[in-house]
Amino acid sequence: MKRRNFVAGIVCAGLLAGNMGFAALAQTPEASPVAGVKTGESVKAMLLPKFLGISVFDQANKGAQEAAKELGSQPPDFVGPTAENSVAGQIEFMTNAPTGGYQVVMLSNNAGEQIAPAAEAAQAAGTKVVTWDSPIPDAKGESFFVAQVDFNETGKVMADMALNILGEQGGEFAILSASPDAANQNAWIAAMQEALKDPKYANLKLLEIVYGDDESEKSYTQAQALISKYPDMKLIMAPTSVGIVSAAKAVQDEGLCDDIKVSGLGAPDEMEAYTLNGCAPEFALWSFVDLGYLTYYASYLLVTGQIEAKDGQTFTAGRMGEYTITKDPTRPDVDALRILMGPFSIYNKDNVKEAAAALKS
Amino acid sequence: MARELLRRLRSWEGLLFVLLLVVLAYNIARVPNFLTVTNQVNLFQLGIEKAIVVLVMTFVIISGEIDLSVASMMGLSAATAAYLFQSGVPMVVAILVALAVGAGFGLINGYFVAVVGLSSLAVTLAGYVGFRGLARLLVQDNSVGGFPEWFTDLGQKGLVGPLTLSILLFFILAIIGTIVLHFSGLGRLTYVIGNSAAVARYSGVSVVRTRLIIFTMSGFISALAGVLMAARLGAVRASTAEGFELDIITVVLLGGVSIFGGVGSMIGVLLSTYLVLNLRNGLVIAGVTGNTQTGIIGLLLILSVLVPNLANQAREWWRRRQADANARAPAEPVVEPTRSQAASG
Repeated sequence: MKRRNFVAGIVCAGLLAGNMGFAALAQTPEASPVAGVKTGESVKAMLLPKFLGISVFDQANKGAQEAAKELGSQPPDFVGPTAENSVAGQIEFMTNAPTGGYQVVMLSNNAGEQIAPAAEAAQAAGTKVVTWDSPIPDAKGESFFVAQVDFNETGKVMADMALNILGEQGGEFAILSASPDAANQNAWIAAMQEALKDPKYANLKLLEIVYGDDESEKSYTQAQALISKYPDMKLIMAPTSVGIVSAAKAVQDEGLCDDIKVSGLGAPDEMEAYTLNGCAPEFALWSFVDLGYLTYYASYLLVTGQIEAKDGQTFTAGRMGEYTITKDPTRPDVDALRILMGPFSIYNKDNVKEAAAALKS
Repeated sequence: MARELLRRLRSWEGLLFVLLLVVLAYNIARVPNFLTVTNQVNLFQLGIEKAIVVLVMTFVIISGEIDLSVASMMGLSAATAAYLFQSGVPMVVAILVALAVGAGFGLINGYFVAVVGLSSLAVTLAGYVGFRGLARLLVQDNSVGGFPEWFTDLGQKGLVGPLTLSILLFFILAIIGTIVLHFSGLGRLTYVIGNSAAVARYSGVSVVRTRLIIFTMSGFISALAGVLMAARLGAVRASTAEGFELDIITVVLLGGVSIFGGVGSMIGVLLSTYLVLNLRNGLVIAGVTGNTQTGIIGLLLILSVLVPNLANQAREWWRRRQADANARAPAEPVVEPTRSQAASG
């Protein structure tokens, strides 16, 4: 019996220790005045990425923390499920957010439309839901979406990079995506397929779309499978920062960098080596730090009642300047609102080193 | 011996109860809305499929066996229903086929264990790999959704008040499970077989039939849980419910069920289910990330499995020492007669 009480003691102590850690995080920093914005109100916010352990999401968190500090709010909680449990885990966090007293959940959606019922329930219970990076496709339960870039433009940028790398004669290529439930990647791929209809891309032939679930190992295996399955494949296009690194590594490990190129969306610090050695001559991305910063600003202003989620609403987001909420032209069939960030940065051997160094600092 | 067992059980459940109160008190103190109906419903709803399979896993483990294929079966049944629906089969038929697939493969598991006499660890490990493989064949890398509204509503919306179909089914199955385990012939057989299959066979007990029933039920209930999960999430992937088997088994063990069979109670398992649901809910609300949640619950479960075993070993060691002292150092260690019989069978 004594031994069992001892166990209970350990468990309780663990729980208490966990809680103290969070209490320590919850203190509010000094407010600094920001032009045109009422600061100093503490907002309990959750930054919910697809899952944890991806560097670009850490960068978004960096931006959100920076914005929270500027606005004199408590730091947002940066939480997320494990990669294997992403869909059910995101739904779990969303469902429990109102009970936890969160005023806003900033979501990079990895659960397709499956998250909509939980998001609607959260909104009904008084928790705002703002999406960033990846929206809720039917916009149900979403106040607005902070888009990193125009999703239709993403398709065109990917098509252009493919054409640029393969040249006029073109060739066969495959797409290595994240998860089939990832709304952003799905939209980009659809936009690329749409862009490819232009006669200028007539020589680019899409072989197959495969999914690596944004897990390095699975993405690597999928890339290897593509390499063995399609001997004439000239390019792997990976619109995901995890997939593109795994694909580049797979091609390099096979010693095929001269025959098969990799492109897509990637983080400069992770892609530097592959760009310099020619495996991935060109790829694109935007600033995730800025995306997190802008998302936090818009969410803060929404929760504190300084802006409304409506077409035509303008606001100033600190160092990033003025933005407008508009109807989302990339989701014309649903009643969706969007804040467009941009721009794209295209990276190649001329600028990747500098960009990587900037991220590492 | 029986009284000793009962006392141990009672104290284990007592410990679970105290632990539960601690977690509850902690959650209530920190989360103002913790006791609201919404949160209590959420708390069950978010882990309901595992909770349902835990009920049947209790029978499997008390009977001295293991079923590692439950989560893969959940995935296979969800994938079967999704695949059929996608191919134009009416959803109701797709669900019935998925449930039949569960019962069928459960029976096959049972056949290899009970009739052929293979180890359930090996048989259901094959199922663990095989069923998941079949699920992957059916839905490939896709996320299959777009189910009829009535189906997703059943999974997501309250059927009786705020209680969803899954939650109602869980409570109904929990009551049935408790009655069958503790107040029926099948339940008694489950314990007898778990204590010593050899004894049970020599006593003329139908070991084969009982095992077949238990494994068939395990497959069927897992398939049911898989379909419920498809309805709750509104989409199916081949990886649906991946990794759930370990959570399910550990909750059963935390409930005081012995991994060697023959020992355990439904009350203990229900307590541990509610305990883990509460713990998880509290952690999510506190903003603890997925990895840390897994870590904390894992730690609790490690302790739950290790502590009773260590306590037993310590007790055994102490008794042996006493016996040694009494017999003035005999050549061989004293072994209980029932143990040696079980080992020879």
